[in-house]
Amino acid sequence: MVGSKRHSGARRTIRYALAIVLLLIMVYPYLYMVLSSFADWAQIDKTLIPTKFTLRSYDWLFTGGDTGITRPWLHAFMNSVIVSISSTVLMMAFGVMVAYALAKLNFFGRKAIDNFVLFHMFFPAIILLIPTFLIIQRVGLYDTYFGLILPKAVSLWAIFMYTNFFKAVPQVFIEAARLDGASDLKIMYRIMLPMSKSITTVIFLFLLMERWTELLWDMIAVKSDSMLTLNVLLSQMFGPYGSFPGPLYAASTILTLPIIIMFVIFSKKFKEGMQFNLK
Amino acid sequence: MEQRNNKLGWLFTSPYLIYSVIFFFIPLIWTFFLSVTDWNLIKPTFNFVGISNFKEALQSPNVHAAFWNTYRFMLIFVPLVTALAVGVAVLVHGLHRFKGLFLIGFFLPYLSSGVVSALIVKGLLSYTSPINTALRGIGINVDWLGTPFTALFIVGLILAWKFTGYYALIITSGLESIDKEVYEAAAIDGVKDGQRFWRITLPLLYPSLYTTLILAFGVTFGIFTEVYQLTGGGPGNATNTWQMEIFKQAFSNLQSGYASAVALLASIATFISIYIIRKLLEVWGKRNGWV
Repeated sequence: MVGSKRHSGARRTIRYALAIVLLLIMVYPYLYMVLSSFADWAQIDKTLIPTKFTLRSYDWLFTGGDTGITRPWLHAFMNSVIVSISSTVLMMAFGVMVAYALAKLNFFGRKAIDNFVLFHMFFPAIILLIPTFLIIQRVGLYDTYFGLILPKAVSLWAIFMYTNFFKAVPQVFIEAARLDGASDLKIMYRIMLPMSKSITTVIFLFLLMERWTELLWDMIAVKSDSMLTLNVLLSQMFGPYGSFPGPLYAASTILTLPIIIMFVIFSKKFKEGMQFNLK
Repeated sequence: MEQRNNKLGWLFTSPYLIYSVIFFFIPLIWTFFLSVTDWNLIKPTFNFVGISNFKEALQSPNVHAAFWNTYRFMLIFVPLVTALAVGVAVLVHGLHRFKGLFLIGFFLPYLSSGVVSALIVKGLLSYTSPINTALRGIGINVDWLGTPFTALFIVGLILAWKFTGYYALIITSGLESIDKEVYEAAAIDGVKDGQRFWRITLPLLYPSLYTTLILAFGVTFGIFTEVYQLTGGGPGNATNTWQMEIFKQAFSNLQSGYASAVALLASIATFISIYIIRKLLEVWGKRNGWV
């Protein structure tokens, strides 16, 4: 292998260059979205990298621009926040609770429930869609926040992930806490949850992201304008705003940036959590 | 494990138990019931129609399209995303610094909403877009979303863009679990650099590759947002999917009985396909002695 030392420097540079180019291609669509949302309307969808900028697209979102019809963008954003946060918090809380029982308590039916969670997780959910809609409608939750939140209040995946994680926590911790007189609820939230910070970050981000970008259910479960989530409103505006893509890019940016910022803030914990997750 | 505590166990699992009764068992039974009726979501009455919904569904060109398109999407999406994810993982794994930063960067597309990626793709492929203008300059004029094959390919490409970084993370953790010593031992045994990937990396990567492949195959059975937003299942039925068809029948045509029958067929197709795919992947692993 004569000369391999000499090559390795060049090889390393090529590797980095390749990685950077590939990364740029992968994040380019986001860049395109953000730039287009600020771009002069004459340049939108006509250049790959707009050079002239204006706030017209954002202004249009709140005033309705030439159409004169304002759409409830801000309201929809708030709906998305309310629905996604409530759903995610419930999925996390129930996930921890159920997983704690499945991993650390001994009770009749534990094994059966544990196995059923796995079956449920891989069950094609599409088959349940129509009756789920009918149930929500029959109990009077159609077109309400609860109708959006309750069918997505439990995540099989969160239960599954937490169960696997909790099983790996040594029983001594729990017994020691019990000797100190801690209740199971206290053990769960004071010991188990703090120990699982990194995996909690992963689960939280995945659930939040999935709920935030949900389309099918949020479209079916709601009819009035005041109940639309941002994702659904954006989807509905494709037709009416067909010849004004600027505001759509602005709304897309508002939809996408919060989740990306959140992800970047938590990225360190996320990386740690993924490492466990993938073992 | 400690002494039995039935009360506490059932109390703590009760959120899930209640949830699965309301949002799993009741809907499941209800779907079977609906599938043998002609109920249309608003009528107060309905008739039992036996298996005629299933008969109709099995003869419907829309359902045929949804069935076959799932496998067409598979043929495009799975090889593409796997190759990209392995490529990204191997590339990033070989870097000395900023590994994590690169992986996070590649993961970002996973955070996108299908609606947003549809908007961006629509913009990039519009008639006046620089891509199409340049192509017309050299005499190529493609109506990307109006041509069956390219529409199918574009949706597959969007999905591959979205999932590459996620799968690359899984594969990276597989690569990290491969000991450096294995490579050194192989070098001593005379395995050449060029053979290293195929003879050592790939076999040791099999478990994480298996995970990503199962996930990727699973994705193709649940395609909805991108298709709904970009093509509505068209042109013709070229990009119709199971979810698209069920949504259209149940909530646009209000044929909830018929749509329930389609949903049942969809889950049967999904169950059988995933089962066969898993078996094939396991056989593939065993044949090569990787498991």
